[in-house]
Amino acid sequence: MRDIVIIGAGPAGLSAAIACREWDLDTLVIDEFPKPGGRLVGQLHQEPDGEWWNGIKETQKLVDKAEAFNTEIKCGVSVHHIEKVDNGFAVHTNQGVIDTENLLVASGAAESPAPLPGWTLPGVMSIGAAQVMTNVHRVRVGNKGIVAGVNVLSAAIARELQLAGVELHSMALPAVNTVTKDAGNPKKVMDGLVRIAHLAPSAFLRFGSKFAKAAWIRNLAVNFYPKGGVKMWGMPIHIRKAIVSINGTTQVESVTVCKVTADGEPVAGSEETIEVDFVCIAGGLYPLAELAAVIDCPFQYVEELGGHVPVHNQQMETPVEGLYVAGNITGIESSKVAGAQGTLAGLSIAKKNEKSNAELDIKIAEAMKQVKTIRETASIQFHPGINAGRKKVEKAYQAYEQANA
Amino acid sequence: MDHTIICRCEEVTLEDINNTAEKYGCSARELKLRTRAGMGYCGGRTCRPAVDAVVQEATGEEPGNNLPLKVQPPVRPTSLATLGGQHQS
Ligand SMILES: Cc1cc2nc3c(=O)[nH]c(=O)nc-3n(C[C@H](O)[C@H](O)[C@H](O)COP(=O)(O)OP(=O)(O)OC[C@H]3O[C@@H](n4cnc5c(N)ncnc54)[C@H](O)[C@@H]3O)c2cc1C
Repeated sequence: MRDIVIIGAGPAGLSAAIACREWDLDTLVIDEFPKPGGRLVGQLHQEPDGEWWNGIKETQKLVDKAEAFNTEIKCGVSVHHIEKVDNGFAVHTNQGVIDTENLLVASGAAESPAPLPGWTLPGVMSIGAAQVMTNVHRVRVGNKGIVAGVNVLSAAIARELQLAGVELHSMALPAVNTVTKDAGNPKKVMDGLVRIAHLAPSAFLRFGSKFAKAAWIRNLAVNFYPKGGVKMWGMPIHIRKAIVSINGTTQVESVTVCKVTADGEPVAGSEETIEVDFVCIAGGLYPLAELAAVIDCPFQYVEELGGHVPVHNQQMETPVEGLYVAGNITGIESSKVAGAQGTLAGLSIAKKNEKSNAELDIKIAEAMKQVKTIRETASIQFHPGINAGRKKVEKAYQAYEQANA
Repeated sequence: MDHTIICRCEEVTLEDINNTAEKYGCSARELKLRTRAGMGYCGGRTCRPAVDAVVQEATGEEPGNNLPLKVQPPVRPTSLATLGGQHQS
């Protein structure tokens, strides 16, 4: 029986492992991907101070540190079920069952699809898939593409594709349907962009800052959005044009794009065809919490965090005895926040065995502060209401504790 | 748009879901069971948010704190040998 099994070797899981090993816990990290690093390995962007955030290098730093503490990291191990057993958990994997007293689920986030007519054609991929192929596998995703979905993630990744020499025609919205209601609404998209403008690390966020913060100016900006789009790194971004269909017989050959009103309604007769051989769809991210669900951890729906998240407190404990969560499973945020949450979770787990240890208490208090500081200064913020969202979860935890006291 | 596939594994279109919702006036769970949306090989990993959105609109059920469609193990495609305990290590 292990002291702690950590599911997910992303920034959250690796940082937690380092903290657990620093406190000498018998720790095992497992991940289904062939390499450690999670979504961090695909990341490449420029910070406000001009420094580059290179996910491959950041991952190496974490792995080196974990190895310096003799941390066991097993890749290619996929968890399909978790059972609560006496004194702990049985973790069911493709390599057998692992018993552990404590469990940290740091399984990250997944992408929401943006279904459009033709989205099942070969050559259509999620924006995250394009990121992994480009930055992790070094595979050229196509010769000329278009991005359906304008948000902080798709813009950051579009830039990465450009840097890798992959030609993008433009970015536009996905046409509005039941699933893409928000992603296809120019006003909502503009709101999202403007609220991150003050963080301006890059040309993309300066793009947002071209529009003022007052709602009426934002509406003006949507109404009088330049016909040729607003250019970022020479690539037009359209929020008054939507991709209505993806066309081709055996693979992507073109997309049909039309003008849309400020509310996202298509303008009849404005259709044009653009030849492309790949399409990236960007429907946003949601916390990947399936493993917390199979052990009956209570959930809370928090829009600001990206959807349903396992109920947890500020020390990353859930109401299920011995179960902890950290990283994007607790809400969609940048990798730096995920790492800080991981460190905190690791310390909280150590605390379980070291009930009265003043040094550890100080470390936990510092780690909690660190999560907040990093959140405040994060250059990539997925939702402007993140703090409000975090408060809702904390409240849910307290309510749960009271109800079950 | 109606012929757009929502669940790729089971090839369920938006029209299939909407028609089933109209015909049976059923709950989210029943709608999923009748159409098999989200119940294919990937276990809903690709389409879950899309199925949730479509089913929500079709049934008028607002998102609550419980997951709209229950998560069932195994959450990954798993061989019978693994389930039976005969894993290779
Ligand atoms: C496609 C994509 C692109 C992103 N790009 C950026 C970006 O450019 N900048 C940014 O700041 N943030 C980005 N993010 C947000 C990203 O989630 C965080 O930056 C950060 O990586 C979260 O860290 P984490 O440790 O919580 O999860 P992750 O880094 O996602 O790591 C989770 C790990 O858990 C493993 N795992 C999950 N389920 C199982 C299972 N059942 N069994 C075994 N292993 C499992 C996964 O293989 C993965 O390696 C992106 C997210 C996604 C999904």
